[in-house]
Amino acid sequence: MQNDETPGNGIRGEYQRRMLAIRDAFEAGATGAATIAARAQAMDELIVGVWSQATETTPELRSGIALVALGGYGRSELFPYSDVDVMYLLDGKVSEERVKQPIRRISQELWDCGIRLSPLTRKRSEAERFDPDNVEFALSSLDHRLLAGDAAVYERFARTGLPKMLERDGKTIVQGLVDLTAERHKKYGDTLFHLEPSIKDCPGGLRDVHVCAWLKTLAGASTGTKASVDGEQSVEGEEFRQAVEFLFSVRCFLHYRHDRDDNTLDWQAQDAAAGAWMGMERRRAAREGGADAAYWMRQYFRHARAVERNLTHMLEVTPPKQRGGRWAVVGKAALSKVRRQPEPAVVGYRVENGRAVLGVANGAAGDPAQDPEVVLPLFAAMSRTGYGLDRASEERMSQALPLLSAHLEEGPVLWRHLQEILLGAHAGNTLRAMHALGILELLIPEFHGIDALVIRDAYHRYTVDEHTMVLIDTLHGMETPQTSPLGEWAGRFGGILRDVQHGALLYLGALLHDTGKGRNTGDHARESALMAENVAGRLELDAYESELLLGLIRNHLEMSAALRRDIFDLETVRAFAGKVQTPEALRMLTLFTYADIAAVHPDALTPWKAENLWRLYLATANYLDRSVDDERVGARVGKDLVRRVVGVLPGKKAEVEAFLEGFPERYLRTRTPEQVRMHFEMAQRFAEDKVQLEFHYGPETSEITLVTPDRAMLFADMAGALAAWGMNIVTADAFSNRQGVVVDNFRFTDTFRTLEMNASEHATFVKSVHDAMAGKAAVEKLLAGRRRGRRKAPKVVVQARVDFDDEVSSHSTLLQVVAQDMPGLLRSVSQALASRGCNIEVALVDTEGETAIDVFYVTRHGAKLDPDQQRELKKELLKAIEANAG
Amino acid sequence: MQKIEAVIQPSKLDAVKDALVEIGVQGMTITEARGHGRQKGHTEFYRGREYSVDLLPKVKLETVVSDEMKDKAVDAIMAVARTGTIGDGKIFVTRVDEAIRIRNDERGEVAL
Repeated sequence: MQNDETPGNGIRGEYQRRMLAIRDAFEAGATGAATIAARAQAMDELIVGVWSQATETTPELRSGIALVALGGYGRSELFPYSDVDVMYLLDGKVSEERVKQPIRRISQELWDCGIRLSPLTRKRSEAERFDPDNVEFALSSLDHRLLAGDAAVYERFARTGLPKMLERDGKTIVQGLVDLTAERHKKYGDTLFHLEPSIKDCPGGLRDVHVCAWLKTLAGASTGTKASVDGEQSVEGEEFRQAVEFLFSVRCFLHYRHDRDDNTLDWQAQDAAAGAWMGMERRRAAREGGADAAYWMRQYFRHARAVERNLTHMLEVTPPKQRGGRWAVVGKAALSKVRRQPEPAVVGYRVENGRAVLGVANGAAGDPAQDPEVVLPLFAAMSRTGYGLDRASEERMSQALPLLSAHLEEGPVLWRHLQEILLGAHAGNTLRAMHALGILELLIPEFHGIDALVIRDAYHRYTVDEHTMVLIDTLHGMETPQTSPLGEWAGRFGGILRDVQHGALLYLGALLHDTGKGRNTGDHARESALMAENVAGRLELDAYESELLLGLIRNHLEMSAALRRDIFDLETVRAFAGKVQTPEALRMLTLFTYADIAAVHPDALTPWKAENLWRLYLATANYLDRSVDDERVGARVGKDLVRRVVGVLPGKKAEVEAFLEGFPERYLRTRTPEQVRMHFEMAQRFAEDKVQLEFHYGPETSEITLVTPDRAMLFADMAGALAAWGMNIVTADAFSNRQGVVVDNFRFTDTFRTLEMNASEHATFVKSVHDAMAGKAAVEKLLAGRRRGRRKAPKVVVQARVDFDDEVSSHSTLLQVVAQDMPGLLRSVSQALASRGCNIEVALVDTEGETAIDVFYVTRHGAKLDPDQQRELKKELLKAIEANAG
Repeated sequence: MQKIEAVIQPSKLDAVKDALVEIGVQGMTITEARGHGRQKGHTEFYRGREYSVDLLPKVKLETVVSDEMKDKAVDAIMAVARTGTIGDGKIFVTRVDEAIRIRNDERGEVAL
């Protein structure tokens, strides 16, 4: 029905003139709030005028019937093309049949004026009775005012009947409201980020504003008091008010633009709204030059976020069992996890109903809101458990930001806190909360440039900061099984995630990877890496960690770029391998790329893309393992790597270069310069002791490094010495240089917890290994005396497999052994190699779940193995594996 | 009117799109696909598991052109998609009886 605003005569004419004037005023710069209030007033006058005329000729209308405005009109908010909701409220004594025709005539008169009238007739007893199948009516009744008619009927409804209904059925109505809201949010993917959002129904839109108001009214009704919400006068209350005003203006703009009740901010509407600075302070002043649409949409998303946060707060004060949809998860999951945790020592906060509440400021101990040693562990706990933050605590933190900043210590302390936050399963939501409070920017000022930054194209659904959070959510999501179409792929890539040794750096890289977009130079990867370098400096990351982090960020688009080439072409793989250089960097970049694509848009990552990504990962992982032997430090190779080590050993350039020559580049790329320095210094002590060991105990895995001149059975003896102590080797690598110096590194778990329970045994352990390697103790004797634990049946049975490849290296044969991971396996395998006269040039040992994957580059008498030798060796290896499995 | 369906290597998509746009073809539909011709696939082995690559990633590009444009479009695709190795893909051409623009009910070649 067209809204005919052609001026006419009488009441109708006056109404139409008023509406035209209101529209003109809006287009000249009047606010949305003023426009909808003026429209409601004009509508009131029209309706009252029509009613008055009707009562002159219809006595039945003069008593016992009230005309009540409901819904948006009841709030005096009348948008240009909204429905006008009115209720004819009848007293019990009034016969509905008698007033039916007069009511119909009034409604018809209003329809003839072009009004989108949405009338309903209710007896007072009906209106005051809650219908569980019609929650919407109950909600629209919350906003009511008398327009015309019998005031006494209205008063009985408004002052007695309705409050009694709310007191009686308020909880059920709240539940219905929460369920409806959850359903609506789900329809929009539980996100406010849409390329063409509906400013009414999308999360963060006007419907959520109404929900906040209804929750407030219902809370007041249940306590019998005029409801007020914590923080109404706070900064966040002002943010919410500004957001509402913005949305009012935009909705008026859309209605006038489309000439109908269309609330979609489509592409063209965004351009037009930006051109008119719609909803912004500058609107009244600007006469030429509009805003950039991306900039304008940034304001929209900021306001939508403020509304969403307010709604979340309102829902958090709703009793837990009434929360529906995604809000229910926060309560139950958080509570159950918190109950399982032991009560922490006094840490400056407590947990109530699934929310963290800061402790009170204590004169002696100070205000916890200002103490990073309270605030940051609190966020770490939120990240682990998923519980939220109490609103009052949020406000205290916001206000305490300057003092929090003054007390903040950078360096390893800050990095430790950040790691705990980043590695928690709920890191995404925790970082969102920190971002909203300004605390994330306190720790990482570089993040400010991408706050609500919009990349305006058909692909990027989220603002840049939200994309970052979704990426982090995606990474963490890989850790749990999924039933989505991509679930199988998420599980497969999740296997890679479990192998990543520097998980915190992966998440830190995710957090920083797009910060460069705020600089808008056209090469955001490079800009982000520059900013990350500053962050790495402030956190005092070591050189290896910094390089891993910066490499990830610098190269974060490389894998996507490689996917656009022929991934089955060796040259593509070789070029890409040259960018990542190490298996750890490859794992991190693969996971990052998966999550980065998934975080562009919900449909961006298809099974097709995931499969191609997987294939490129396989091909590159295989290439890295197969190219270790040929890429060795020498006259023309690895200069930069050598320079870094020389840098930490001043005055020893010639000795260092001689030491490094012949090592595979992999050795230098997977060690910090400080670690290489240590190995060099160990080699310098051969005159005192040819067997140099460096041991580091860790509760999860320990590590031992052997530096010694090469000899036969070396690797087998080392594996045996560790097995004799019940150590299960998880990863190992072995490299040698041109001088015949070997650097073998083993990471292992302590099957019988010997080292964990007896700190004094550490020295004994190291001595035992030393004596075995120095020939002072027979490894076989040590093995004979070892404890044997009861072997549990494996969860996954792994078939032993031995494969050779003669093509990958110019001077050695690559051997890959895959078998069931068991104590003693590596000893058996390396002993079999030694028994066949094979020399191990390079060893790369890894474990994935229950699968041991051992890669060796072997030679025999300095040459590759011929086919017969390979055949014999394979038999020997399979026999040894079977014997070890017992 | 003629419908051209080209199954090509994913790495050739950008070049094929550009080539078609250059000769005046504006509309096209792209679908991610997997397939093989005579070359079948191969098996890869990684970390103890075999992964058979029997269906290789491809991209299917569909476009409808006028009869006069058909040869030009096919030639444009061939020129940039061909590498001369197995796996380059195939082009299929079928006749189209009608084309309709949904927005304004334009029909025939003007709807292309």
